[in-house]
Amino acid sequence: MALPTYTIRPALRCLRKAYYLGPGPLSSSHRFTTTALRQDEAIAESTIDASTPAPPPAPPSQYLDPEMVSTPRQERKLFKTLGLQPIGSRRRRAALKGSDNVPFEQMPYQCFQEARKVLQEDREIKLGQIAEMRRRIARWQNTPTAECGGEVAKKGKLLRMHRHLEELKVLADINDPMIKKRFEDGMGDMNRPIYRYLADKKWRAYKRRILMQRISQMYVVPDMFQHLDPTAEVSLAFGRRNIQPGEFVDSRISEKPARLKIQPFDKGERLVTVAVMDADVPDEERDAFTSRCHFLAVNIPVSPTSTSVPFSKLSKESHIVLPWLPPYAQKGAPYHRLGVFVLQQPGEGDQAKMDVVGLQESMARKRDRFRVRGFAQNHALHPIGVHLFRSKWDEGTDAVVTRAGIEGFNIEYARKKPEKLPYKKKDGERYR
Amino acid sequence: MKLSPALQSLATALRIPIHAPSKPISCLATCTGHYQPSQTKTSPFSTTTPTQARKADKGPAKDRRIKLIRYFLHHPRTPRPLRFSRNRTLRHWTIHRAAQLLLHNERAQRELELERQYNAMRAAMEELRLGVGDGGRLYRQAVSRKGIYGGLKVGQSGGLAGNGGIPAEYARAQTEGPPRAGWDHGWTRG
Repeated sequence: MALPTYTIRPALRCLRKAYYLGPGPLSSSHRFTTTALRQDEAIAESTIDASTPAPPPAPPSQYLDPEMVSTPRQERKLFKTLGLQPIGSRRRRAALKGSDNVPFEQMPYQCFQEARKVLQEDREIKLGQIAEMRRRIARWQNTPTAECGGEVAKKGKLLRMHRHLEELKVLADINDPMIKKRFEDGMGDMNRPIYRYLADKKWRAYKRRILMQRISQMYVVPDMFQHLDPTAEVSLAFGRRNIQPGEFVDSRISEKPARLKIQPFDKGERLVTVAVMDADVPDEERDAFTSRCHFLAVNIPVSPTSTSVPFSKLSKESHIVLPWLPPYAQKGAPYHRLGVFVLQQPGEGDQAKMDVVGLQESMARKRDRFRVRGFAQNHALHPIGVHLFRSKWDEGTDAVVTRAGIEGFNIEYARKKPEKLPYKKKDGERYR
Repeated sequence: MKLSPALQSLATALRIPIHAPSKPISCLATCTGHYQPSQTKTSPFSTTTPTQARKADKGPAKDRRIKLIRYFLHHPRTPRPLRFSRNRTLRHWTIHRAAQLLLHNERAQRELELERQYNAMRAAMEELRLGVGDGGRLYRQAVSRKGIYGGLKVGQSGGLAGNGGIPAEYARAQTEGPPRAGWDHGWTRG
């Protein structure tokens, strides 16, 4: 038996009413807390980073809120008028509609609210420190070099101050539960230092360790580069297929140019060179292995927010030096390791740009015996990201190679028989 | 079954009977005992060998510790693991962070206070050394450690001898509160 409405407790009814009036901010009588609202967040963010995204516009009517529509009729109306699909299940939406819709920050738990108060006070202190640090940096930049004790001392001091400033920016936001939530949902804005910091921590906790293990297990480090300390996350995909570091890739899959995602964790745009090198090309003349370049592109702009680098979409005139050559391995040869290297170009802005036309001319005949280590040394490039995959002969290789028009492929390698150890004849005495 | 005292107390706290794990094993032993005679029976009308339920391949014996952990972990009397909803986790995390922050601030404050005290002491000593104008005599007397752990000693002739310092046994590290045992009034030297 359904209870009549007036038996609902007054407080609950009060909250219910709030929903029917619309999902706006609660009236002051609902506020359980003495702490300030999160309205100050936007201001604080703007002090930290100038580029804050505008908040999404509020839905025009709460009856057509995609989070809350719960009848088929309303859903249809939502799609017709706003062109939006409802979010989540109908059951969830109905539950949301019936809930009192208190924002997370205003949840009426005393300990939680006290904790928020403590954290917000700390944040205010940190913001003050940030402002102070900015002032100090400005003052140091304006003081003449002679008073600071020389060029080197001034530079070092400024560098340390900037580093401290970055630390403070992270510390100001690290205790915010909403930031944690947004990061876990993958909605973090990589323009802000806190999200970059969290992403970096997450990457280093697992993915980077795997990458480093593969690199050392498959001897990428002494073979292709003497030392690698990746600071940017690089993920590789062919079409929609993600490739784990060191995975064997079918030659038919790797026929099409790859797609890289380069995620740097420090701010600013930089130009990078991407090189793909095969380190296990058999060399019959020397009875050894050489290397080959499968792809080389320069002047690719990468920043924390623009991370996608599809090889097929790069322009031939301004980026690509050597176009994609499908990885292949002859029958019988051991597997080939293909290292993908992301090398940062020195300098800033236009100074960092490399001469594409000149490189195209000079590298045209240098696909074979290409060494990424020497290339990086010659152009003063610094490796910031690595990836690795392997390829071996399979059923599709023949077709791939014919389509790519590669010559001299029809070789089948066989293992050399190891020379037998000379048989040492035992003296006959023992067998009598 | 022998259990470590820790496990036993855990079992009593959770009211888990600790003789239970021996049950399934004994049951299994009796079951196999019942099955054995039926293996020799063959059906007279069939030439095919009867298929029998395969005995579970138990493999090598499990570690006793693992067995016990599993037993206690999956026992119905064991309380369910603590699982929070998303929002509750976040609230929990917020409170935890705030508590950690308070602790950290308190510690930093204490450290600063200690540093301030040390600096004040050092400044006073510097003043004594240079500012008094006696060539540092007072200072030298103040910092001299000669005989501080000596104490008084009753000589053979009955008089007091020794350097009159504070005996090392009286020394106690400075703490914020009194010791648990209070002052030991009954203590005598040697």
